[in-house]
Amino acid sequence: MKLFSKFLMGAAVLGVMASGDASAAGKIVMDGSTTVGPIAKSFAAYFQKTTGTEVTVSESGSGNGAKSIINGTCDIANMSRAMKDKEVAAAKAKGVNPVEHIVALDGLAVVVNPGNRVTALSIAQIRDIYSGKITNWSKVGGPNAQIVKIQRESNSGTQDTFKSLVMGKEYPISKRAESQASNGAVKNRVSTTPAAIGFIGLGFVDSSVKPLLVDGVAPSAETVKNGTYPISRPLFMYTNGQPTGVVKQFIDLNKTSDGMRMISELGFVNK
Amino acid sequence: MNLGTRKILDNSFTAVGMGSIVVMALALLAVLTPIVYNGVGAVFFTGTIEHRTILYKEYGRGDAKTIETQTATAERYRGEAYRMLSDFEAEMEGMPFEASSRYRSQYAQVRAAMSSLLGPLPGDPTPMLTRFQYGQTRWEKAEEKLHEILYEKKWDYSDPTVMAKAFYVPRAEAFAGTMLAPLFGYLDRHLADMMQPEFTVYWGFFTDRSLDAHIFGGIWPEIQGTFFLAIGAMLFAFPLGVIAAVYFTEYAKEGFFTSILRSANSTLAGVPSIVFGLFGLAFFINTMKVSESKSVLAGSLTLAIMILPTIIRAAEEAILSVPKTYKEASLGLGSTKWNTIATVILPAALPGIITGGIISLGRAAGETAPIIFTAAVSVGSAIGIADVFSSPTPALSWNIYNLASEHEMACEIRHVQYGMVLSLVSIVLLLNLSAILLRAKISQKLKG
Repeated sequence: MKLFSKFLMGAAVLGVMASGDASAAGKIVMDGSTTVGPIAKSFAAYFQKTTGTEVTVSESGSGNGAKSIINGTCDIANMSRAMKDKEVAAAKAKGVNPVEHIVALDGLAVVVNPGNRVTALSIAQIRDIYSGKITNWSKVGGPNAQIVKIQRESNSGTQDTFKSLVMGKEYPISKRAESQASNGAVKNRVSTTPAAIGFIGLGFVDSSVKPLLVDGVAPSAETVKNGTYPISRPLFMYTNGQPTGVVKQFIDLNKTSDGMRMISELGFVNK
Repeated sequence: MNLGTRKILDNSFTAVGMGSIVVMALALLAVLTPIVYNGVGAVFFTGTIEHRTILYKEYGRGDAKTIETQTATAERYRGEAYRMLSDFEAEMEGMPFEASSRYRSQYAQVRAAMSSLLGPLPGDPTPMLTRFQYGQTRWEKAEEKLHEILYEKKWDYSDPTVMAKAFYVPRAEAFAGTMLAPLFGYLDRHLADMMQPEFTVYWGFFTDRSLDAHIFGGIWPEIQGTFFLAIGAMLFAFPLGVIAAVYFTEYAKEGFFTSILRSANSTLAGVPSIVFGLFGLAFFINTMKVSESKSVLAGSLTLAIMILPTIIRAAEEAILSVPKTYKEASLGLGSTKWNTIATVILPAALPGIITGGIISLGRAAGETAPIIFTAAVSVGSAIGIADVFSSPTPALSWNIYNLASEHEMACEIRHVQYGMVLSLVSIVLLLNLSAILLRAKISQKLKG
């Protein structure tokens, strides 16, 4: 038994060792969208540095963000789409009053592998590709290759945005489309698969993929802001009731000049 | 069957056995080699002056004087490159519009790659995000960036029927005849002077907090979170499991009820871990409300019910393997049943019980799915022990997944991801090793 107690002691010592920094004044728990994730993480680091308030960020998708705020398990829900009526009703039923804050704007870039000669598609062509009507790149001026369609999982706000802005109600996305769990995963898949097409938030675009002109407009901060780029959307943070205290301070970060600079450095667009 | 056939069968069976062991060893090697090789790279690498500057500015470590002299040397060489940039900018100003627009987009790429290599260029405002405030911290990344500056990646679209192949064109050709042309040769010659590479051992990788979402710094919050979760799970599951095993072996009457319980326990051991994760969210957080949000407590409870069946089974086996004579001797001497269990049976069964416990501890440390919804966050600082009841925590298993797929700069920080993988594998390996040692020690003591 002596050995056993030694082992327990060891565990206890480890625990005490680990209890380095004690909790600071107040804390904020955030959950939700992977698209809003970079903004939330940067704001969190900045906020922690300037105010000492602990901020934790989970990236589990917009749907989970909504569930978290409905169940009262987070202070701020990050969402890349507006809350659905069903979710608002569920929240109201639980006595939660979701209040919407627009934190930034984002364009949804339709990306292909840089090896693909296609540089522009119309909304109608993208819809035909995703609904399965067009299956070969040669139909839209590309090489002779089967199109590999990448979409997001049903939990994703990006997926919802894409469905409502590109597909519309009557064109479901083909069952052949492959699902990936995050913006980063879609980007990876497209950059490693020559014949792939996918859609990701503007902040995730880099040189490993090629963003397409949609209806002749290139996705960029300017075209999203002036509304000429057709697939753009606001990004949200939801709170339960009007925010107060540190949460309010956090939510208002995007109105400060530091916050606005962080948003544009990350590749998102200020409201 | 004659002797010859039997011998052949025998030998071929041995051969198959040996073969499968070799295959297993090779598979293990194939898995572990890249983990160890790449993971070690997170701690041992060739660091640049940028790495040392970050350590000094953000963590207050390092020798101010050496850093100062090295920075001065680096700045001297960088200054020359910056001068070429500004010379070229002035030259572009003087060009007719069509001529300058030919260079503009290419030059923007060069500038962007330069600032990613060296940090913000003179004249640029200091970026808000830490990730843009410094240049490349690792030599191999710096060389990659240099390649990006020296060569332009182009795609050969000449054949419209196939996917294009990439090829590289030296940028020096595009800028030939301008004041930027000497820059490329200069950068190539003086990269080491500008970056001051030095072999670096960064133990802080294990003990530092992360900076700007894991782009710089270490993984201490994750390591600590992993320990908290695993030990927390053990604190709940181990006593419960041993008590349940004692009940099953010593008190329960064999019957319908017990056999149902037993098979329920076995079934539970085979349930996928994500189911436990969702159960933990629905039960511990939403129904029981053990904490306001995700928390270490909720995660530990979820992990505890996941490893409980294994602990019960291991403890049961261990108790059953204690010779009956021990128990009979104790009872024969007039000891009570409870006293016999506590002083004779449990100590004798302890090696087996502890082995089961520590193997489960390893499993609790490595599981991702149960903590996604109950405890893990992608960004958060190390929490104090007083916060385990209310705060969620980063944890190795979940953050490895996060860095592999969701992180916006996943490709740039693979070394952090591999470092995390190596840490997790080492932790689990250490736990299992300690199980073996502990077991050996205890059984020796019992024999002696």
